[in-house]
Amino acid sequence: MNPGILGNIGLVLAVFFSVAGLVAVVFSWFLRDARYVRVARRSALLAFLGTFVAFGALEWALLTDDFSILYTARNHTSASPTWVKFATLWAALEGSILLWAMLQTLYTWLAGRKMRDYWTSPVALGALFVIQLFFLVNVLFVINPFTPVPNPPADGPGPNPLLQNHWMMAVHPILMYLGFVGLSVPFAYAVAAMVTRRYQTWVSETKWWLIFAWGFLTAAIFAGGWWSYEVLGWGGYWAWDPVENASFIPWLLATAFVHTAMVQERRGLFRSWNFALVTLAFAGTVFGTFLTRSGVIESVHAFAGGPVGPIFLGFLLVILAVGFSLLGRVSSEVRDVGSVNVWSREGLLLFGALVFVVMAFVVILGTLFPLLVEAFNGAKVSVGAPFFNQLFVPLGYAMLVLMALGPLLPWRRAEGETLRVLAWMAVSLVLGTAAGLALGWTLWVSLTVGLFLFNLVALGWLIASPIARKSRALGGVRAGMGSLAWTRRRYGGYLVHFAVALSALAIAFSQSYRLDVQKTLQIGESWQVAGRTITVHALRAVEDPHRYSVIADVEISGMGTRQPRLNYYPTSRTPFASPSVAYTLGKDYYLVLQAFDQENAQWVTLRLVVTPLVLWLWVSAVLMALGTAMILWPARRAARAAAAGEVGA
Amino acid sequence: MRRVLWVLILALGLAGAQTVGNEPPPDLPPKVFEIAKKLRCPVCRGESAAESNAGVTEEMRRQIAEMLAEGKTEDEIIQYFVDRYTEWILYEPPKRGLGLVVWLAPVIGLGIFGFGLYSYLRATSRRAAELEGISEEELARAEAELGRDDEGGAPS
Repeated sequence: MNPGILGNIGLVLAVFFSVAGLVAVVFSWFLRDARYVRVARRSALLAFLGTFVAFGALEWALLTDDFSILYTARNHTSASPTWVKFATLWAALEGSILLWAMLQTLYTWLAGRKMRDYWTSPVALGALFVIQLFFLVNVLFVINPFTPVPNPPADGPGPNPLLQNHWMMAVHPILMYLGFVGLSVPFAYAVAAMVTRRYQTWVSETKWWLIFAWGFLTAAIFAGGWWSYEVLGWGGYWAWDPVENASFIPWLLATAFVHTAMVQERRGLFRSWNFALVTLAFAGTVFGTFLTRSGVIESVHAFAGGPVGPIFLGFLLVILAVGFSLLGRVSSEVRDVGSVNVWSREGLLLFGALVFVVMAFVVILGTLFPLLVEAFNGAKVSVGAPFFNQLFVPLGYAMLVLMALGPLLPWRRAEGETLRVLAWMAVSLVLGTAAGLALGWTLWVSLTVGLFLFNLVALGWLIASPIARKSRALGGVRAGMGSLAWTRRRYGGYLVHFAVALSALAIAFSQSYRLDVQKTLQIGESWQVAGRTITVHALRAVEDPHRYSVIADVEISGMGTRQPRLNYYPTSRTPFASPSVAYTLGKDYYLVLQAFDQENAQWVTLRLVVTPLVLWLWVSAVLMALGTAMILWPARRAARAAAAGEVGA
Repeated sequence: MRRVLWVLILALGLAGAQTVGNEPPPDLPPKVFEIAKKLRCPVCRGESAAESNAGVTEEMRRQIAEMLAEGKTEDEIIQYFVDRYTEWILYEPPKRGLGLVVWLAPVIGLGIFGFGLYSYLRATSRRAAELEGISEEELARAEAELGRDDEGGAPS
């Protein structure tokens, strides 16, 4: 037994049990027999175990430096540290699709366990089996990482140096795939709902999965931003790079859907639109993969091209065709009834979703426009950060206004009491903006400060007023707060909103007040810049098994000695700068070693980037993850009892 | 053997990184990066001339610094690069000709999606108005029942 054989056995078993599961749900559907669904569920578990064996086999090959299979021979080196060896599994195309396939089988199994409705579950499970078969067949037949190598090399080139430069690369792809794969569950339920003509309940049945996937997508996007900040050496966290955009599109569509799903759950409205949104959000995850794996776009994510691009494009078209052909029937059958007052919870939720959909449209447009123009016209145009930034400023303001007002307003119509707080919010908006202008900040930054306070007042009122009311009713603040424990999910949502407002503040300041400067210093020389003294103490070299590094010891006054470095990897001609970031609550000091004196080690060239409030972006990411966890965490028995008592009272 | 390899890599790598032998790269004031941010890196995808560390962008930043030192304005400097590379070098597409399409499309998109939402809301309200025979009390009772299941409800 060797890893190659074991891996292929695992994959064949996974394909076999996926087909078996698919056959079982087809039987269950046509024979109207629920027992076959149980068979399908067991097959889903066995298919997951099969992919898990394949995953384990590839890790086995990587960790034991077995170069007898294609994947390790091309992407691995025995010189890597252990964590890099482990993460090399998703550092190239074949392995990352294997990981995706494994997570997909895991989700199919877990989602199948929760399916209670014997009418819709054959279709939902069937859709998930088809999706996982797509990935498994690809891994087994098109991009098989276990293909034997006739003459195994003694060592391989190792993974892309950019990916081994930071531990975040072991985490970010897994978060991203967990989010991408998570969206397949709401999509599968939507397909089942459309096939069985049960148009209403699927949104509440998949809400948990939707928010779960949303949380991971959010975490993955922030993790990717932090990785670029720490690794890429230009002091930014978001470049509107096509690949970043590809991950942002499903996030925007999923965010729109999270909000419109509430409207459907509560008022039975927007049903056809929700089918469209969930189809587009899931298709967006495949679109991103097509964009990055097809060679259409070159970037750090673009692994070698090959047949995968067209195959993913085909899969994307199939998803859209299935989703929208079913939707055609839905839209002729579904006639939503209900008047919507614009000045109500549902009115603002729908406007919020509109903002997110337009944002997604802008990102798709800006990403594809250069490709389309070149394809049809031969002309070359560039659409970059200035375009996206200018359009996202007004859309972002609209989002900040709506997200503060939405949770304040009741369903159906707004009444006097809820409107009182609006005066305070307006005052805080005006005061915040005026204060910003008085401090000499730009209008846009000042307006963001005002809108941040606007949100803060709204959230403060949302949290404080029910506590005050309950405390009055129950005769004590503690009793009042205790009685609110069961609404934890609502507070999770508030926390996510607060974190979004906080990140808007961080983005506005870091984008507007950034200092970027480059200077050559002699060893021992000091430099007065941005309120600090920067002194270069030494220049030295360090040799590791897998790389060679040149390190400058640079002291920033009051912040200790920093070590920006240049790493040289055997596979790359150019060195990789590894910046050193001094994080503070105010400004980050970001040092990059740009060049050094190779002959006498007398001078170094440093690039310094000073950016305000970037740290708060990472804080808001953590808060968003916490808020999502609060929403997802299953209610405890005591809390359920409290909720029941609340209703009974 | 390994050491020889490193020396070779270093030689090649440094040749790529520092094009001008062992001369230190020029000092660059903040204005250089502000201008470079508006220009694309001609050999990369998704990176501006301020972000990339490719040899050609280091040269671009050096040129920007020189032109600034000569007293040229930002517009003149950008025009210099447009003359060399065409408008493709601009990260912000010009608001005319083909570039105008990409600027107008979001407005049109907002109009289309907005109109879609508007006509949807009008249709559902019209259907609601057509529905008769549901009394206010029934509506209120349904509302109260809906209010029980956690979530969503107005803070009450």
